[in-house]
Amino acid sequence: MALTQVSSNKCAGGFQKVFEHESTELKCKMKFAVFLPPKAETDKCPVMYWLSGLTCTEQNFITKAGSQLAAAEHGIIIVAPDTSPRGCNIEGEDENWDFGTGAGFYVNATQDPWKTNYRMYAYVTEELPKLINANFPTDPDRMSVSGHSMGGHGALICALKNPGKYKAVSAFAPICNPMQCPWGQKAFAGYLGSDRSTWEAYDATVLAASYSGPQLNILIDQGQDDQFLSASQLLPDNLIAVCSEKKIPVVFRLQPGYDHSYFFMYSFMNDHIKHHAKYLNA
Amino acid sequence: MDLYEIRGGRLDVIAEEGELSRESTTMETYNVAAGSGARTARDVSTFQRFSIGTNESLRFEPCEASTPSPTGAEDGCGDDDDDDDVFKEEDTESEINSIRNRLQGKVVEMENFAGHLEEIFLTVEENFGRQEQHLEQHYNDVLQTLSQRYDERGAALEEEKKSKLEALYKQLLACGRALDSSKELIESAQEVYRSQDKRLFLKTVMPTVKRIEEYAKEDPDLTLATRLEFNTPLADLSDVKTMMDSINVVPAPSAPVINPQMPNSATQTSLRVCWSLFSDDTVEYYELYYRPVLEDTPADSTCAPHESKVKVKETHCTVTDLLPNAQYELWVTATNTTGISPASEKALYMTVPSPPVIKQRECTSCPEAALIRWDSGNTNPVDSYTVELSETETDGTESSITESIVAVPSCQCLIQLQAGRRYLISVRAVNIGGPSDRSEVITVSTTGTFFHLLEDTAHPCLSISEDGFTIFYGDEELPISAMALDDNTFFTRCVAVLGDLIPVRGRHYWEVEVDDGTEFRIGIAYEDTERNAYLGANSSSWCMRHILSPTRHKYEFLHNGWSPDLRITVNPVRIGVALDYNRGTLSFFNVNLEQHLHTFQCNFQSHVQPCFSLDNPGALTVHNGIEAPEYAFM
Repeated sequence: MALTQVSSNKCAGGFQKVFEHESTELKCKMKFAVFLPPKAETDKCPVMYWLSGLTCTEQNFITKAGSQLAAAEHGIIIVAPDTSPRGCNIEGEDENWDFGTGAGFYVNATQDPWKTNYRMYAYVTEELPKLINANFPTDPDRMSVSGHSMGGHGALICALKNPGKYKAVSAFAPICNPMQCPWGQKAFAGYLGSDRSTWEAYDATVLAASYSGPQLNILIDQGQDDQFLSASQLLPDNLIAVCSEKKIPVVFRLQPGYDHSYFFMYSFMNDHIKHHAKYLNA
Repeated sequence: MDLYEIRGGRLDVIAEEGELSRESTTMETYNVAAGSGARTARDVSTFQRFSIGTNESLRFEPCEASTPSPTGAEDGCGDDDDDDDVFKEEDTESEINSIRNRLQGKVVEMENFAGHLEEIFLTVEENFGRQEQHLEQHYNDVLQTLSQRYDERGAALEEEKKSKLEALYKQLLACGRALDSSKELIESAQEVYRSQDKRLFLKTVMPTVKRIEEYAKEDPDLTLATRLEFNTPLADLSDVKTMMDSINVVPAPSAPVINPQMPNSATQTSLRVCWSLFSDDTVEYYELYYRPVLEDTPADSTCAPHESKVKVKETHCTVTDLLPNAQYELWVTATNTTGISPASEKALYMTVPSPPVIKQRECTSCPEAALIRWDSGNTNPVDSYTVELSETETDGTESSITESIVAVPSCQCLIQLQAGRRYLISVRAVNIGGPSDRSEVITVSTTGTFFHLLEDTAHPCLSISEDGFTIFYGDEELPISAMALDDNTFFTRCVAVLGDLIPVRGRHYWEVEVDDGTEFRIGIAYEDTERNAYLGANSSSWCMRHILSPTRHKYEFLHNGWSPDLRITVNPVRIGVALDYNRGTLSFFNVNLEQHLHTFQCNFQSHVQPCFSLDNPGALTVHNGIEAPEYAFM
């Protein structure tokens, strides 16, 4: 698979790059951002996959989240893909900001007209890692996943659905129980159809209840002044309740005064990368 | 050969004992030989030492240099033929060298012997001189006494003569008078007889006849007034006799000189005392007196310290059965047949202290250091302490390398160590007398941080297990008496206790084991944190708190009464606490899951202590001496 470098900037002693490629899963050109730490020049590094939230592209994270210094310090490659396929010319894809373009929800759609292109789950868990491992100095056995909001949801389900694949997982203001919130219900109905049983496979709270596999240590930061928290879009309590019962280790931090924005993520990004590094560099 | 001539007619200076000088590389002092020479002359127990620092002593001509020169050119014994034969040079040269060396050796020997002899001559001369002097003096005394006696006796005789002569003269005078009177009588009688006047004759003849008759009846005293012989009483020369006798008698010794205490000669209960004679006295034995020097001299003299006495023949003595770390006053007298010398000066000696006792429960350590505390082991103060440490080898045996830290002024010492080792540490108390025996050894392991709990800080309702690492909060009522006390030592509200963390600003890690149902507060606090407050409620403490509500477990991370809002899904039962002074962080972990729970960012103004409290009846156990896991200080 051919990669075309779109941009490269020296950053934090390493390089923040953006590449473009033809995706086989998504059947369109996709961009993704890659941060290569200084260590990557000489050694193989572990990879953290970052999944962004609604309306984001591969740019938001690399320009606003402040991840590069910590990534350089711990020697971690951060890969940040786009949030949905683009330029597929699907009818209605641009009508909503929380469905279609920029709102892939990290599922493999089963419904028309989405099912051909909207296979973000497969892209993130299969195609992208293969591509990254083939083109960059990575250690294929050391992967972790993180994300924000919809990307937080994506990170949680990737980890819960693939026991042992991800050495660490964390999330910022994730959508914890999409089946129970307006966002999730809208997206799943559109991508997966009306049979709610098919939604369960993509709901972190449901997946946690039946998780069995190597121990996961989940770190979740949530802004207390997050409007979407109060709008019941995120529902972290549901996940916490299930994890408490199932003894899945979670540390959930409610951060007073913080909202849903990148300013919030920027404030705690170091803690998350340190959390990932603990397991990726072990 | 006359020693005088050889030495250029002068006697060299005789050095005092203890002075050794070497001016010539080929001459050495011979203490023993000279001493034995002196000893044979007189029976003394000390001898003088000599040095021959003169260039005029016996010396042979050749070989100035002590090492032979390679070519033998400067050498008077050298062989000129050496230069000719290059090939044989090696052999002959070495032969010559060896011969030369032997000769030189012999020369040195002879020179030494000669010097030896010189010394003996000198000693003899000296001893002789002294004897002579002594004798002269004695005999002078005797002569003086005798002439004194003679004068006295002569005077007495003179007196006697005078008195006898006087008596005789008186007698003579009396006789003369008697003669005169009888002569007169006879004349008057004759005159009467010749008188013509018959009547006058008849008148005076009868009284005259009577007078003559009376006179004739008188017996003249013809005995001498005095005896002719003189009184010659026996001369009392007994004191002269004693003086003569004493010439042969050895004088009583003079006061010995007691030495000051030699370092490392004392033990806890004994002192080794040495002294020497002031001069060449004959001594039969010495008596060493000693008594303890008491701190407070009682006004009442009857309480004077007990004086003890030891009789010894040598010039040293080891006094035993003494108290440790005590000062003693010692003096010594020398005795011979003549009498006892005056006492020497009093010397002050000190016994070595008793060994200190390390306070095991008050010793603490971390990877870089250990703090050792001990009890002095002595009632009176000592000068300083010496801490000794050695590392144990990997097989557990003590290494031979020991490090000592001397002049430790107080009963504690912070020692820098290396991480991941085991050390054996002991302490000695030191005073003027020397160091005490080693205290019992304490083993310190620099794996992780190790501390005990400060039992004095424990709330009255908190009890601590025998091994000191588990705390219990029973259901008992709080004794009211405890609440009345207001001194800031133990906790009065929060059922808490502090730990004794070593005051080293590095990284420290320990773990706490709790029950699922234990409500606890664990963390750190400044040593002076308010004892009537709850941990975490003020700015001087930071803690993780577990609250058990009917529906769920709640966890808080408190400082200044404030906690972030956290949910933890798996209740930690073994909590790792990681303190990093340099980064100013205090972190908590679920050890079993290796899960990071929370990190405080602090600014530690001074050293902090670990703190542990129970909010409801229960127990918790502290585990320390654990190497911090990698993630603890990431």
